[in-house]
Amino acid sequence: MSEPALLTVEKLEVVYHRAITAVQGISLSVRKGQIVAILGTNGAGKSTTLRAISGFLGIDDARVTDGSVTFNGKRIENRQPNEITRLGIALVPERDKVFPNLTVIENLTAPFAPAHYNRRDNEVLAYQFFPRLAELRSRTAGLLSGGERQMLALASALVCRPELLLVDELSLGLAPVVVQDLMARLVQIRHELGTTIVVVEQSAAAALNVADYGYVLENGRVVLDGEGARLRAHGDIQEFYLGQTSSSDRRSYRSVKQYRRSRRWYG
Amino acid sequence: MQLAVNIVVLSAIYALIACGYVLIYRVSRVLNLAHGELMMLGAYLLLATAASFAGNPVAAIAAAVVLSLAVGILVYVFLMRKMTGEMVLAAVLTTVALGTLLRGLMVLIWSAQQQYPGQALGFANPAIALPGGGRISTFAAILVVTTALVYGGLFVFLRFGRWGVRMRAAGQNPLLAAQRGINLHAVYALAWGLSTLTGSMAGMLIALDSGLTSSMTVIGLKAFPAALVGGLDSLVGALVGALIIGAAEVLSIQYIDPLLSDVVPFLVLIAMLIVRPWGLFGTREELDRV
Amino acid sequence: MSRGMPRASGYFRTDYAQDLALTQTRLERASLLAFAVMLAAFPFLATAFYLDLACQVFLAAIGALSLMLLTGYAGQISLGHAGLLAAGAFTAGILFREFNAPFWVTLPAAAAVGALLGIVFGLPSLRLRGLYLAVSTLALHFVVVYLGGEYESKRGYSTGIMIDAPTIGGYAITNGRVWYFVLLVAAAATLLICINLLRSRTGRAWRAIRAHETVAEALGINIAAYKLLAFVISSAMAAVAGALFAYYRHFVSVEAFSLFLSIQYVAMIIVGGMGSLLGALLGAVFVTLFPYLIEAALQQLPNAQSYAGVLFAVNYAAFGVVMILFLLFEPLGLVGIWHRVQHYFLLWPFKHRPVAGAGK
Repeated sequence: MSEPALLTVEKLEVVYHRAITAVQGISLSVRKGQIVAILGTNGAGKSTTLRAISGFLGIDDARVTDGSVTFNGKRIENRQPNEITRLGIALVPERDKVFPNLTVIENLTAPFAPAHYNRRDNEVLAYQFFPRLAELRSRTAGLLSGGERQMLALASALVCRPELLLVDELSLGLAPVVVQDLMARLVQIRHELGTTIVVVEQSAAAALNVADYGYVLENGRVVLDGEGARLRAHGDIQEFYLGQTSSSDRRSYRSVKQYRRSRRWYG
Repeated sequence: MQLAVNIVVLSAIYALIACGYVLIYRVSRVLNLAHGELMMLGAYLLLATAASFAGNPVAAIAAAVVLSLAVGILVYVFLMRKMTGEMVLAAVLTTVALGTLLRGLMVLIWSAQQQYPGQALGFANPAIALPGGGRISTFAAILVVTTALVYGGLFVFLRFGRWGVRMRAAGQNPLLAAQRGINLHAVYALAWGLSTLTGSMAGMLIALDSGLTSSMTVIGLKAFPAALVGGLDSLVGALVGALIIGAAEVLSIQYIDPLLSDVVPFLVLIAMLIVRPWGLFGTREELDRV
Repeated sequence: MSRGMPRASGYFRTDYAQDLALTQTRLERASLLAFAVMLAAFPFLATAFYLDLACQVFLAAIGALSLMLLTGYAGQISLGHAGLLAAGAFTAGILFREFNAPFWVTLPAAAAVGALLGIVFGLPSLRLRGLYLAVSTLALHFVVVYLGGEYESKRGYSTGIMIDAPTIGGYAITNGRVWYFVLLVAAAATLLICINLLRSRTGRAWRAIRAHETVAEALGINIAAYKLLAFVISSAMAAVAGALFAYYRHFVSVEAFSLFLSIQYVAMIIVGGMGSLLGALLGAVFVTLFPYLIEAALQQLPNAQSYAGVLFAVNYAAFGVVMILFLLFEPLGLVGIWHRVQHYFLLWPFKHRPVAGAGK
């Protein structure tokens, strides 16, 4: 844990259409080699934070209005997505994560890899973690199943040789078994390539099982953060994200949150 | 036999022009209505280089081809780049405006008179007798061969070339392409460059074959139905579409009325839009995208 | 009609009569009246040249208004507007030549032909959107012009069809001033029809379709019917404009209805400002006068005579430049500039602009 921070987000503020503030003062820090989970319900600001890091805000008429995103000592907020990718950050988006009319192999050719890697290297890298893709190499990506598609998306992101891999909603629409398997692949990627990984998840259980550290966002703010194991044990997380308390004493979601949060801040 | 030759030549012309529409549409969903003017500009560039490289026709042609590639890239960098992210329709109207501008400029620079770059370069254009009894002019024959080579080259490039695959990727999902480190502006500029290049080659060859007038833009516009009948996002489609349009035009001139030549491509287009709007080889989802 | 029109705060409508009224404030009424007086006085002060310019503007305004209904409000792009004008002009010309029909027959006939063509132009819009629709209207333009050309050459009017001036009770309208008022009334009537259409159920349906077709359909709007209606109304108006044009010029020829004319009409609604009737009018004025401005500018240059031959080319080039400039830098057109000026004075001395998008 003495590694320096690879990615630092400081007091980030993002405004959509010059009117709606989606993220208000989020600070995160990701150390080299960590797996970090960002959790939260819909509209908490998870995806916006991820987009701010990966350079995708401009498309939705959003801007980072305050704060900073620093990667490897370089400020990267409001930069073009392709520049950010070449600096070493690759994103696996929530939807539309593969090129549907290209074959698997073409999906692995299209990404911009550093010049000294050739196509063969890209394929070897992909099959190292996802051997299943080797069987599907000339299949059109649009015909893959959800799990296979997610594998291809992860593989094609790896082709960019990122230092930091951002994964948006890995579990979306996938069976728990598949999610478990993919999470295990993330651990393997971290282990074998030393890639730092940030996962954004609604399904907290799967993410917290592999994460070293976690942040919980709500209404564009960080409300909780801590090491993976401690978060898993935290009462609020168990109650609202893991659903582990019995349903009879489950309280109203919003009111309890408000209460707990004010206690944390003022009490 | 002569009829078949005419059909092949006209289809080759349309096909060579139509692939320019397809390239740009496929990559950036923009319909380039200035394609006819850009094609004519290529022909005039040949006229200009013919004057400066007098006595060296190969250098003149090479220079004109390189210049036309540059023109396409410049059009993107200085004009169409500003329209990325705007409504597709605004981008299309920009190409209409560009076409109007180019047409005016070309008349101002080169006048509206008929010119013969072939003579300027010192080329003769003898007719070649074909085995079956038909005749084809030398440059028409070169045009047919060029079209075949261009299509072959494009197929290989888009299927196996790294940048070719990237162009297809950018066309399908620009956001993801940018996320994978692909510079969209570079891809779009490449598409505009290649499109203008192929269009200009068509323009030059037509001008070498039969002279150069300001009415050449009409040919460019008539090639557009070929692209659409085949399916705007498909190169194979453009080839087949060009064949259909070329055949329909030649046959109706021959058997019905020569005046029909300007309207037949559009009649075929309307028929196609009614029956199968996305074209013979196009993707059906295209309709909802625009 | 008050949509997007800035007013000082404190202005509210309190009853339905106010909502129905065409003008809202005393200032509006006064300025409208002053404008009407100016329009009425103009022909008695202007020379024949300026009178002709004004008539051209009125004709262009009818065409631009009809295209604005279709594109600016119903969201259906058309690149074949010149084809509709041609259809109207040829209907008038052919009926006059073949049957010696008077104008009170030919004008409604032109409108009917326009409406019919509107259905033909509009049918593709039921399946096609955006680009594909634009392309199909472009194709129809070529077909209409071809048919006109066929008629000309088959009947031996290869240079065009001559039409006599329309007569009312034995009086032939040949005088420029009379034409001025005839066309002014026609343009004003068109504007009034447009205004009222747009604030009725029809106008609301069109806007809903333009905003989002699927949602509009879910709201119970009969998309097909309203789209076709937009095409029918717009085309009928354009055809009438074409017929008036034919009478005004005493002459019909396919040469006048080139693709460039369609582009000019599209330019009118771009330069004027999409989604605004005022924009259509401003655009019509601008596009009609623009070539004359260019000519006047060229006259100022030394050896002006030598440019006479290339005038049309200069026009093309300058026209392209202006369209590009508007598309790049002022997508809201002249109306956008006008509204910004109004906002500036309304809000003065403050500089805050309303939040982007919130004003719509």
